[in-house]
Order: sequence, then structure tokens, then C-alpha cells
Amino acid sequence: MSKWATIAKHEYLTNIKRKEFLFVTFGIPLFMFATMGISFLFMGIGSHDVGYKIGYIDRTGQFETTNFTKYTNEEMARKDLLDNKLTNYFVIPENYTATGRILIYSSKKNFADNLKIEEQIRTFLLANLLKNEPPEIIQRINKPIIGEYYTLNDKGLTNEDNGITILLVPIVFSLLFTLSIFTSSGFLLQGVVEEKENRIIEVILSSVSHKELLQGKIIGLGALGLTQISMWLVVASSLILINPVILLLVVSQIHISISLLVYAMFYFALGYLIFASIMAGVGAVSTTSREGQQIAGIFSLAGAFPLMFAQFIITSPNDVLARALSIFPLTSPTAMIMRLSLTEVPLYELMISLILLVVSAYFIMELSVRIFRASLLMYGKKPTIQELIKYVRQS
Amino acid sequence: MERSVEVSHLSKSYNGQSVVKDISFDISKGEVFGLIGPNGAGKTTIIRMLLDIIRPDSGEIRILNDTLSGELKNKIGYLPEERGLYKKLTVMETLLYLGALKDMKSKERALMFLDKMGMFPHKDKKISELSKGMQQKIQLIAALIHDPEFIILDEPYSGLDPVNMKLVKDLIIELGNEGKTILISTHMMDQVERMCDRIFMIHKGKGVLYGSVDEIRSRYGKNTVLLEFEGELTNIPGVRKINNSGNYAELILDQGADPREILKILAAMVRVNKFEISMPSLNEIFIEVVEGT
Repeated sequence: MSKWATIAKHEYLTNIKRKEFLFVTFGIPLFMFATMGISFLFMGIGSHDVGYKIGYIDRTGQFETTNFTKYTNEEMARKDLLDNKLTNYFVIPENYTATGRILIYSSKKNFADNLKIEEQIRTFLLANLLKNEPPEIIQRINKPIIGEYYTLNDKGLTNEDNGITILLVPIVFSLLFTLSIFTSSGFLLQGVVEEKENRIIEVILSSVSHKELLQGKIIGLGALGLTQISMWLVVASSLILINPVILLLVVSQIHISISLLVYAMFYFALGYLIFASIMAGVGAVSTTSREGQQIAGIFSLAGAFPLMFAQFIITSPNDVLARALSIFPLTSPTAMIMRLSLTEVPLYELMISLILLVVSAYFIMELSVRIFRASLLMYGKKPTIQELIKYVRQS
Repeated sequence: MERSVEVSHLSKSYNGQSVVKDISFDISKGEVFGLIGPNGAGKTTIIRMLLDIIRPDSGEIRILNDTLSGELKNKIGYLPEERGLYKKLTVMETLLYLGALKDMKSKERALMFLDKMGMFPHKDKKISELSKGMQQKIQLIAALIHDPEFIILDEPYSGLDPVNMKLVKDLIIELGNEGKTILISTHMMDQVERMCDRIFMIHKGKGVLYGSVDEIRSRYGKNTVLLEFEGELTNIPGVRKINNSGNYAELILDQGADPREILKILAAMVRVNKFEISMPSLNEIFIEVVEGT
């Protein structure tokens, strides 16, 4: 076995047993599902309309309903509201048909309630205004459009997703993607600093070259990241297979194309390579793991940029911001995957983004090896920027 | 004689500060060679350059008739001064991994050394469960596990108790007898004085002494008296310096002073239990050289 392979194997086997790895691999997705489940649950609870008791005073004499309590005297309605017999009441003024004004009184100030009440009043008003029309018309006026979107291009016709899955897929996907890159490259940083702190790096470097050490670490931990993603895929697909309802839902709603998966693999590998190289360089110049994490934080922040701006990328995936983020090497892996799952990305943009990523991955890796070599054994002393530049030139 | 290591005109500076200045020496095959000097003299820097861990600014290094390559690293064993191991791995995992990095299937050798060093019962313990002295021994085994031709030991005795120190010393002698080339780097000069064939002494990055221990000592003359005594030593004419340890002392004589005259004076002053005309210790020579520069 070559030496880098020995190192890769060692890194893989020691890190896969780590508690942190198990936590990130199983704990975080579980947490994500749990929070999602809870919010769905609350949405369900919120949609029940029980508890509203609404009264109204009609000054036009045209509106009738069984849903609301009709008052002829506003004083009575006001009294019932104050006595909590009503939650709301509204007044239809005489000039309503001309102005559209409705006066709504509530016992409490609550924005979400207002929206729901207004919805109910709206249905009531429409039903009365259109009482001479056939029921289909009333239904159509209530909901005049149910849109279905298609993309027409030279490859033919494709149906596009709509609804919540179109948002969910890129967000979950890029979140896990970023998480995996950060976990693996974070382990790399930790590993380098640890080996520096406990001095074993000197023994290792007396056996292998700096490059072999770095290659071995990057490949071993990259394999760890791939393992993590595969585990997620396995867990996700077994969850789907167990539950036929979810299976149907997913099959009908999600379209992850093969080409998207291929691109995702490329972007994952390259994105990981860049972050891993950066972390190796950071590890080499920092004296303690805390210091290393502080410096690394700056780069991680850049990597997490697309997630922070996810809503802009999702709502307008072809805007300048989204395009810039999908071309800049530190952000392009996540941003481009988001865009690819949302829209048709022009081939030239994809190529520019990939080429930039490959080129910068190569340069950052070279640079890291040099920094690694130059500053690895300067214990207890962090080199200044000028010193670093000098060392990099020298080696 | 065949040379295992050739170092010529080696220099290295950090941040404009010169750490190693124009150093040249060579080590013959099968020799036990001492690289000695005080802390911070540049010994570890030289060793790191020998191992291609850091690169020299100028100069040339040839080891086992080869410039440094991955192949060559497999033939070198290294015990660094700054000791450290993976805390979470077991003893065997550590040794097998470090052996594998030298392209060696090393299980049997690992077990043999563990047995020899009295560490066999601890082979499945985690490194973090071992005492410091035990960790040191594991690290020494790690340096020898791949049966290297050239062994570099940086401060091999630091942190060892007398029993383990003897164990390590015996091991070094045994390796020397097997014909291994050994470089011992230390600031404890009296430790290597009897063990090394030749030494290279450096001070502030510069080579100050180079040659066989006996040759160096005789070069500095038979002007030392080792004395065991009872009583009170005071100034003695003809004695330049007294290294007094209570009832044992090293007397450095003036140039041309007659030891017999000194003995007469001493006999009148204290009760002499032992009087030995000796060559100066490396320690003494070193201090002399450093003060002279």
C-alpha cells in the first residue's frame, strides 16, 4: 500500500469512530426532521378555525348568513364582545357597494386572527354579492387560478415541481452538503492541530513527505464525507420505502435528475477539496485548536454564505447575487447545486464555475502544502503574513 | 570506510536569525555518533534537515549514499525530542500504524520489542493510560520497529528513571553491536562520552569540536585531576578551577602545572581518598571552548 493510502485508511478508521462524527451524521438530520415535524404540527393546529364567534351588523340589508350572528343594534354587539360572547363583530356600512369598507372590531389585537377573519368575511361577502350566479362561478372567483408550470426546450417538455418540495429539495440538499463538507474539513483541521500539539507529526514526517501526509488526510477524510452522505441517502431511502404514503408523495413531487446528481458529486468533491486544503493550511499555521477554529471560522462563513442567502437564490436563481455566488469558488458548490435544482443554468456558467473551482482547488492545495511545509514545526509561534509569503516563495 | 551520512556546508536561518551556520560532518557506517551541544544550539534543526522535515537554506545532505527520498525514509528510525503519540490509540495500533508508514509489516518485531522493554502486558492499553516513561519506551520502539539502518535519537534519556535509562543505554549498545549507524543528540554530554565513537559539538549553530572522544580529550591535554577527599578544599596554587561536588572534585590545572606538586599540597590540606590524573570531561572541554570563543 502506498503511504498516502496508509494515512488515508488510518484517518478514515479513527475518525469514523468519533462521537462528533456520529452526532453530525445521525443527530443533526434527526434534529432537522424533528423541527420540521413540529412546525408542520403547529401549522395543522393553527388551521382549525374553532373558537371564532363573529357577529355583524348589516346597514345595507342585503347580506344573510347562518355562519355569523346577525345584530340589528351595534350596542348589543359591542356589549356581547365585551362580555366575551363574541370574539369579533363587523359592520357593513350603507355605502359598502361603492367603497368596499368593512369595519371590524375585535376583543384582542392579533394579526394572524385578523387574516383568518377577513378570509371568512370575504367568503361571506362574495357568496352574498354573487348569490344569483351559479356555484361554479362563485368557486372560480374564489380561486381563479391553479397554476401548473412547464419548461419547453429542445429536450422536450418537462413538468416542474411546485409547492413546498421545490423549496425543500434545494434547502435540505445544500444544507446536508455544506454540513458534510464542513464536518470532514473540520476534522482535517482538528487532526493537523492535534498532531502538531502532541508532536507526533514529527514522527510521521520522518516517514512520509508533507505532500503524502496531506494527500492521505484529504482522501481519508473525503471518503468519510462520502460515507456520511451515503448514510444519509440510505436512511432517507429506507424511510421512504417503509412508508408508502411518503414514497408516493416523493415520487410524484421530487425530480432529482441523474445529471444533477453527477454535478452534485463533482461539486461535493471539489468543494471538499478546497475546504480541506484551506483547513490543512490553517492547521499548519495555528498553534492551538482554538486558534485554528477561529481562523477557519472566517472561511466557513464564506462557505455558508449561500445558505444565508438561500431565500434570494431560491426566489430568483438567475439574479446577479445567485450567479455570482455560484461562480465564486468558496460558495459555488452549494450555490450552484441550489440553482441547478431550481432552474436551467446556462452551460457556459456551469463551465466557468467548474473550471474556476478546479483551478482554485489545485492552487489552494499547492499553497497549503507549501504553508504546511514552511510553518508546521514553528511551535508556539504563529507566522506573520509576510513570513508566510516568504516561506511559500522559498519552498 | 563507508559513510552512512555526509553533511556538507549546511546552513539554515529563521526570520533572518541564523540557527545553523555552515556545518559539515560525516558519520561512518556502524558508528555511534554524538551530536552534542547545549539547549538551543541547533541540534534538532540539523536533525530535522537530515530527515527532510525542513529544508536547509544551503548545503548538501547524503544519507546511505542517497539524497532524501521516500524510499530512504524507510531506512531511517527517528526518536524526536518532543515526544508525542496518538492518545486514543492502543499501543499495538500505534506501533502497527507507524510501522506501516515505513512500509513494514511489523507485528512480530513490535511484540519482540514490547517484550524486551517490559511493555508486553500493556500492549492493548490506550496510550493515554500509560505513564510518561512507558510512552517514551513505546516511542523508542516505534523508532526501531522497521529495523532501520540509520537511527536518530534526539535526547533519548530525557525523562527516564535510572532503570529505564540503563535499559535504553543497553539497547543502544546492542544496536551499535548489530552494526547500525546511530546518531545520538543530547545536551547531557557525560551520557554520551563513553558511548560514542565520535562526536560533533555545536554551539550557537556553529561546529566547535569534531572528532573521536579520546582524540578530543587528549587534544585538550592531561590537565585534569579527579579527586575524592574528605575535608575543606581551598584555593590551590597551580589549579585554575575547582569543580567541587562535596567530597568529589574535578581540578583543572594551569598550563604546565605539575600534578605531583598539587598532590603534595592536597595531602596537607585534606584527606585524599583517590587521586587520578585524567583527561578533561567533554563538559569541561565544552565550557572551555565556549568561553574561549
